[in-house]
Amino acid sequence: MRMIFLSFFVALLFVWSSVAGAAPDDGSSPVAVTDDFDQAFNDDFDEPALILITDPLEIVNRGTFWLNDKLYFYALKPVARVWRVVPRDGRQVVKNFFTNLSSPLRILNAGLQLKPAGVGQALSRFLINSTFGIAGLFDVAGKWGITKVDEDFGQTLGRYGVGSGFYLVLPLLGPSSLRDLGGAVVDDFVLPGNLVDLRLSLAEQVALRGGLAINDLSLDRDSYEKLKRDSLDPYLFLRASYAQYRTAKIQK
Amino acid sequence: MRIIGSLLVLLFCASVALAQLSPQEQIKKMVDDVLVILNSSAALETKKQQVSGMVQKYLGIHELAKRTLGIYWKQARKDELAKFEQLYIRLLENTYLNRIGDYSGGRVDFLQERIKDDKAILDTLVVNDKMEIPVQYKMVLKEGVWEIYDVNIEGVSLIRSYRSSYSEIVRKNGFDGLFAQMEKKLSEAQLTDQP
Repeated sequence: MRMIFLSFFVALLFVWSSVAGAAPDDGSSPVAVTDDFDQAFNDDFDEPALILITDPLEIVNRGTFWLNDKLYFYALKPVARVWRVVPRDGRQVVKNFFTNLSSPLRILNAGLQLKPAGVGQALSRFLINSTFGIAGLFDVAGKWGITKVDEDFGQTLGRYGVGSGFYLVLPLLGPSSLRDLGGAVVDDFVLPGNLVDLRLSLAEQVALRGGLAINDLSLDRDSYEKLKRDSLDPYLFLRASYAQYRTAKIQK
Repeated sequence: MRIIGSLLVLLFCASVALAQLSPQEQIKKMVDDVLVILNSSAALETKKQQVSGMVQKYLGIHELAKRTLGIYWKQARKDELAKFEQLYIRLLENTYLNRIGDYSGGRVDFLQERIKDDKAILDTLVVNDKMEIPVQYKMVLKEGVWEIYDVNIEGVSLIRSYRSSYSEIVRKNGFDGLFAQMEKKLSEAQLTDQP
């Protein structure tokens, strides 16, 4: 699921506003220049070496990356294409329902990071969507402007100073790191936040997650294909983007 | 008569001063111009050609190329740099021209514009029916034009990802290896372009 989400996200990197429409919000005006402004330009182009994440297992990781690529094109994608016989709205409902069920996980992780605003936002989303959204089938809160809070245990660890560790490409799951893999294990097996997992055996969980990954893929617009088409070396590009994406998430 | 003459000169100067657009006005103009083309009934190939000339004047190609190569910019020979820039422009162009076929409506909201001397950061939100994506532009003022030299989406800097990949390739395979890879990518793009 993570792989699909990430490949989806990375493809967004290429969304240049130049190919989207325009409706300017004229209320904006130049504001005071803040410290982070200078910091944003501190990105010296000639900094000695830009190592965003270490990758001692590159040979193994590239092998897994190759395997995931083949799985994507020859197994997951064809199944997702068949699944598209279900209307888009129906597939979105499936996604909404399971996303809502995993809300406690995000509330918990926001709490562990001592982010009261995040807890409030995730909690109100959970309450609104579970009631007005009919058990989470519809993202009513999102329509009201309460957006999803993306927190996981990997970020919680990062928040408390745990470094990413080396880069990992997991079979089926895609880009990760030592820290984020540990975080995912805690999220999925230790924390009581994912309501989906409570009554399911391991085999059922695996089947469900596979199904959800297919569902996500059916909603996605060929993000991985675009990533592959546009980057010189998709492996390197995804690695750099993953590292930056996680760092930004932890800082947020 | 002389008064009218000096008035004309004054007016001319004023209009030159006004001609310089703010970062936001400039991105808005670029987006609007591109949108006119995208919404026209022209063929995809025609659209690509029209957009190509339009977007390139807003991209700080030199800055982008420099930041993509990182430390290797200084280590490279003159002819290597020239070759790199030439290939890089074409790759970059392929990347954004490929987006044209993907376009399916949406709009750009301008959130915040920060300017300090010759540098600017512009925060925008790309909105379509499915999602909202925060997109931040970093720009540098060059000869009266705010040139884009980085695009940052949700904390991921495009140029950092480029630099990380390109410098890794140069480190391992040298410039010749990099050029070979770039040329291969360009020829692949040409193949898929054919109907």
